Amino acid sequence: MSAAVSVRRRKVPVGHYVRVTSGVVACLLFLFPVFWMVLTSFKMPRDIFTTPPTLFFTPTLETYISYMSRADIPYRMLNTVIVAFGSAFISIIAGSMAGYALARIRLRGAGMLGALILLSRGVPPIALAVPMFLVARSLGLTDKHITLILAYCTFLIPYVMWLMRGFFMALPKELEESAMIDGCTRFGAFFRIIVPISLPGILSTMIFSVILAWEELLFALVLTNRNASTIPVSIAGIAGDSVNGANWGALTAVGTLTVVPVVIFALLVQKWLIQGLADGATKG
Amino acid sequence: MATVGRSRSRGAAKLADLTSRWAFMAPATIILLAMLAYPILYTIEISFSELDLATFTATEWVGWDNYIEVLNDARFWESLRITGIYLVLALPLQMILGFGIAFLINANWQGRGLVRALFIIPMVVAPVVAGGVWRMILDPLWGLANYVIGLAGFEPLDWLGNPSLAMLTVVIIDTWRWTPFVTLIATAALMSLPKDVFEAAEIDGANWWTMFWSITLPLLLPIIAATFVVRWLGAVKMFDIALAATNGGPGAATKVINLFIYEEAFRSLKFAESAAMAVIILVLTMVLTALFLRGSRKLEEMY
Repeated sequence: MSAAVSVRRRKVPVGHYVRVTSGVVACLLFLFPVFWMVLTSFKMPRDIFTTPPTLFFTPTLETYISYMSRADIPYRMLNTVIVAFGSAFISIIAGSMAGYALARIRLRGAGMLGALILLSRGVPPIALAVPMFLVARSLGLTDKHITLILAYCTFLIPYVMWLMRGFFMALPKELEESAMIDGCTRFGAFFRIIVPISLPGILSTMIFSVILAWEELLFALVLTNRNASTIPVSIAGIAGDSVNGANWGALTAVGTLTVVPVVIFALLVQKWLIQGLADGATKG
Repeated sequence: MATVGRSRSRGAAKLADLTSRWAFMAPATIILLAMLAYPILYTIEISFSELDLATFTATEWVGWDNYIEVLNDARFWESLRITGIYLVLALPLQMILGFGIAFLINANWQGRGLVRALFIIPMVVAPVVAGGVWRMILDPLWGLANYVIGLAGFEPLDWLGNPSLAMLTVVIIDTWRWTPFVTLIATAALMSLPKDVFEAAEIDGANWWTMFWSITLPLLLPIIAATFVVRWLGAVKMFDIALAATNGGPGAATKVINLFIYEEAFRSLKFAESAAMAVIILVLTMVLTALFLRGSRKLEEMY
């Protein structure tokens, strides 16, 4: 008996340490490309193109300064912010309301409509990009923020609706029932009672929507060219520039600028983010 | 007189109630009708038409001509095949790695929260940035990857230039970008597993393998299936990573279907044929998604 116990005591920690160590190693491996990107963005070109690759060097902000002052990058940053927040804002309102309708309001036909909207998550964006481009062109709406914002709503609204529906279903029914008995209208109950209670969930869903819109490339490539163009388009251009060759400084500097705000955002809401991901995958 | 008035106001109240109920669905429905349903219908119309490039409008109805042309195009089939290879390699790899790593980082120690938080980072790197940065790391001349495998005594690899290796490289990049997503869902799932079942099994003398095979796996199966569906929905849209890392090359070795249609439409301006391809892909995706959803529902019922 005592032998068994002592074997067990020794055995469990060994497996445990192996598990912890390999978990940390996996984490470091996955973080490494991001680390390398940030590192490269502070290098002078002579430190980038070396064999062996340079790990220690005098850091410089030169690439950042030249890119932020020279090219259209700051302008595209602003566009990206406008489009990401604009589309996330519209989607969170429309999507939450629809999610609430599906979770709580009995509506003939709404279930069917909701199922259709959820099914739309399977629509390949390229099937939308072609007609959107043609229509926007004939209406003179290409290269406008609002076009891109509405285009992003096509994938954000179903996503928000899906998440918020699960979120609202988990709330106790008595909340809005008592509010409506007290004379609140349905809208009043939703906006005064339900929304404030759900604010953490709504905010984290909104942040996730901002991230999704922030990174989008296909619609941005198709629907914009100068005025409303976003950062992912620039990055695609820099990465695929076969004429001037690899401009790794620009790629990593602009890449870092794109990634850092999103990482901060995501870490701020990480608990909700994980919960939201898990719910999005299971509920519905 | 009074009763008539009351019943009318009751009718009005009923109507007002119905309106307020539908008002919740209205904004989402209107936006999606305009931006989702209408474009899909328009794509279908274009796919049966000839498109006038001077006005960018559909002119003449040509029946199945565009579809016949597309189905006779070897490049379309090749692109479908490449997309299939990508899906078959990337999805299982990401599922296995994702759940495996979730098991590893779920070990109970102080740093667990930090490790889990750090795993979010690759997940929010824009795919186009991921493609570009990996292209830099895998560069045949100055890239870090070849330097490291050189240190280990191996020959340098032409990651992005060798047609048969390039697809694998795209899968690796995609896996790097998406495994953390699976890991985070899996972590949440692992944490919600009932602990007492495992304790009971341990007391009964079940070994690690039996516990995994007859408790953990069945309990996790529904969420594995659900995660697979979500991941599938993302993977069929894969575009940015291939565009940034290889731009479909070398040749057409990594030209996944979205990239192929994009180039046909916006580089070659073959909008009608692209619309036909888009419709084919739309139908294929919908059918497969419905199948996967049904499968995952079945799994959920079984356990």
